[in-house]
Amino acid sequence: MNSAPAVLAGSGLVKRFGTTTALAGVDFQVARAESVAIMGPSGSGKSTLLHCLAGILGPDEGRVTLDGKRIDDLGEAGRSVLRRTRFGFVFQFGQLLPELPSVENVALPLMLDGVPRRIAVTRAAEWFAPLGLGGLEQRRPGELSGGQAQRVAIARALISEPAVVFADEPTGSLDQTTGADTLRLLTESTRKQGACLVMVTHDPTVAAACDRVVEVRDGLIRGGASAAPPRSAPTARPAIAFSPGNVPTGPAPAAPGVRHDEHGARQW
Amino acid sequence: MVKSFAISLRLLRGAGRHGLLGTLLTVVAVAVSTMLLLAALAANGAFAARAERAAWQTPSPTSPESATAVQSTSVEYFQDKPVTVIRLAALDPAAPVPPGLPAFPKPGEFYASPDLTGLLASTPADQLADRFPARTGGLDRSVLAAPGQLVAVLGLEAADPFLTVPDGAPVDPGTVPTHIADFGGAPSLDTVIYDLLLKMATAMVVAPLLIFGAAAARLTVARRDTRLAALRLIGATPGQVVSMTVAEAVLTAVIGAVLGALVYLAGFAGLAQIPMQGQTWFTSDLWVGLPWLLAVLAAVPVLTGVSAAIGLRRVVVSPLGVAQRQTPPGLRAIRLVALAAALIAASFVTAGTGAMMVMIVLGAVFLAINLVGPWVVGIIGRISAAFARGPARLLAARRLVDDPRAAWRTVAGVALTGFVAGFVGLLSPATLETTDSDRTVLSLRAEDASAVDDVTAVLAAKGIDGGVEVAESGKDYAYIAVTVADDPATVDRAKAALTGVVPGQAPIADSDQAAEGRILLGDVQVGVRIVLIVSFLVAIASAGIASASSVLDRRRTYGLLRLAGTPLKVLNHARAIETRIPLLVMGGGAILVGIFCGVPFAAAGAFSPSGLITLATCVVLGFGGVVAASALSRPLLDSVTSSPTPSPD
Repeated sequence: MNSAPAVLAGSGLVKRFGTTTALAGVDFQVARAESVAIMGPSGSGKSTLLHCLAGILGPDEGRVTLDGKRIDDLGEAGRSVLRRTRFGFVFQFGQLLPELPSVENVALPLMLDGVPRRIAVTRAAEWFAPLGLGGLEQRRPGELSGGQAQRVAIARALISEPAVVFADEPTGSLDQTTGADTLRLLTESTRKQGACLVMVTHDPTVAAACDRVVEVRDGLIRGGASAAPPRSAPTARPAIAFSPGNVPTGPAPAAPGVRHDEHGARQW
Repeated sequence: MVKSFAISLRLLRGAGRHGLLGTLLTVVAVAVSTMLLLAALAANGAFAARAERAAWQTPSPTSPESATAVQSTSVEYFQDKPVTVIRLAALDPAAPVPPGLPAFPKPGEFYASPDLTGLLASTPADQLADRFPARTGGLDRSVLAAPGQLVAVLGLEAADPFLTVPDGAPVDPGTVPTHIADFGGAPSLDTVIYDLLLKMATAMVVAPLLIFGAAAARLTVARRDTRLAALRLIGATPGQVVSMTVAEAVLTAVIGAVLGALVYLAGFAGLAQIPMQGQTWFTSDLWVGLPWLLAVLAAVPVLTGVSAAIGLRRVVVSPLGVAQRQTPPGLRAIRLVALAAALIAASFVTAGTGAMMVMIVLGAVFLAINLVGPWVVGIIGRISAAFARGPARLLAARRLVDDPRAAWRTVAGVALTGFVAGFVGLLSPATLETTDSDRTVLSLRAEDASAVDDVTAVLAAKGIDGGVEVAESGKDYAYIAVTVADDPATVDRAKAALTGVVPGQAPIADSDQAAEGRILLGDVQVGVRIVLIVSFLVAIASAGIASASSVLDRRRTYGLLRLAGTPLKVLNHARAIETRIPLLVMGGGAILVGIFCGVPFAAAGAFSPSGLITLATCVVLGFGGVVAASALSRPLLDSVTSSPTPSPD
């Protein structure tokens, strides 16, 4: 599994915050179309690892390469461009601009890169049906369920055709059923795009959806870099026929039920 | 409630650096509001105190039968300084003693206020002292309008021509000899005018102040929205949520109010140095008094609490409301009808309309602009969203559509001040007419033209070079015009020489007649400047607060966007556009409305140059200030988005 050339690699990563060592010399690689879960208890350094790999934080020692080119020595502006064009991000919640309709939230990365608004919005709209969001293009984030909002976030992460998608507890604020659906969409659509997925989670069932799991403890990767569990059920199923432009039905039927559950869960 | 305070205090302390910044902004806003409110109260009190102290100087007429004395008060001028000359004669041995004097002045006695005493000593006698008899004594400062007021009290015989009471009711007791029973006094015409102007100024300052205070209270609530909705979700009762928020807002406001009061206490002596009616103030005039101080200290936190409670209504109504950030219901065009109605009402206002009515109409227009503002901002947002090409413009436009009230709050202060500026831009007096003549004409009203000989003789005796002629004459009067060189010393020497030469007459120079108007217009200018400065300060500060609170409100989203590679430049650009578009449209619109309302009061229906300058300065400083104040929150945006793990609070 590690024989394929690494798209993103970190070697000897050290990061200290004051006297605390968050990362104590970590090696990490992820290959094309591969998904890797980074697990570990709170404070283990897993988020710091993700931030260093994604160019959000600069490591104190070690190097990070993307397609063989060093990226940790780029300036803030360079890393910002890199994050916008080569990486995609899915966070736990709160990443969508509340006043923008969903479709414009998805189109935003393209517009930031200079794509004309009309084209950006058209391309963004193509992502909605495959992700089970058909008809919700003009809804605003506040009018979406948690699961729907995360799918909009996934579309936004993928629209700029990134090399790597970083996900930080992407299902952390969702109930189990919605979480599983969202996770499946995330892993499958990322793979379809040919991007790799680096996901931070503390939930073993979530981690199991990835090709590979690494565990961070006390700033080091423990238990071997490829404690690969068997692929879990979602990826064993046929992948959804996913292709923007050629719009399949995909998992759309799940959406209304999910939304209903969410409201039910929240309204006590 | 005590428990609520305890929880709120803990939440305040635990709010972290950015939470603390929000609290700090609220404290500053409340402090500024309190300080300005106290200053406005002090100004009102000061004018009242001045009027009350000086009331005796204006006689209150009574019937000849009940009169105990005759009083005539006139304002004569030394250089360009007004000297209040009060001539008195007792009709009754029991005539009351005038305030500030040891006894009723006997004929030939002359009492001078302290500054007049000083002036008499430092000026050649033939310019000033010769107008009066020898000084008998001093006048206490406590009976003067202002510490520097020049007052002369002269005792005369009841039969003196200066005190001949004309037949019929006095038209203006301020200038004509009048029968009086006592020195209860009456408000002078000046007092009435100033009272009205002051009330207008107060309204213009306090109205934006209320909006400002409300914005500050909302800042508190905005930061707490999410958390309070969460509290509500875990089962806190509406009562608990409301009392907790109100407790926090009140707590913050108490600190701000005390700070504001301290600033006022430190500065009110300085206010006394701002001249009005040509005079600076007694420091004590500008002290609001303990009851008012305590009332403001109590009222400001209460108002802030009420505003916070209103802001919370949504959370309390539905725990999901704020937690889910649903779209607020749209604003309706009915708001436009309000403005139209107010403007139609304003079009009926003319210079002849009663002052009270003018105030009401102006207030209505003011409120209507505030009502129509958010609606217009929403429309502008929709239009710019439809045409936006770049991401920054789209972000800004969508935000305007999403929360037009918030965008309006940012610019409301300046827009409403624009209304004031547009209105007073027309009111401002034109650059004062200056006669370019090098001669000054003094006029005297005599019974017939024969007085010309007396006047000529006196001038010759004193060695004053002047031309004497009869300017106008009728059956029982003749106006004698004395033309002298236009230099202050000559004019004052002529005045001193000619006082009483025509029985009962002190000469009036043409420059004197302009002086009163000049002082009034000067005061209006000072007042306009103060109103504009204060309201612009408030407007700019509130723009800064609104923009900071918008950054704090959305720090998580901004932070995550930045992590995902959105350049800060785009976010800042979007925020700048978000302020600039409504500012230009609404600020410009409000100025036009202000001009529309001001037209009936404009002297010649055209802009005066100084009014235009005032207006232009306002536009540049106000608009620039708001843009700068919004830009001030850039470092804040930088700091709240620089953390790699943006936290919800």
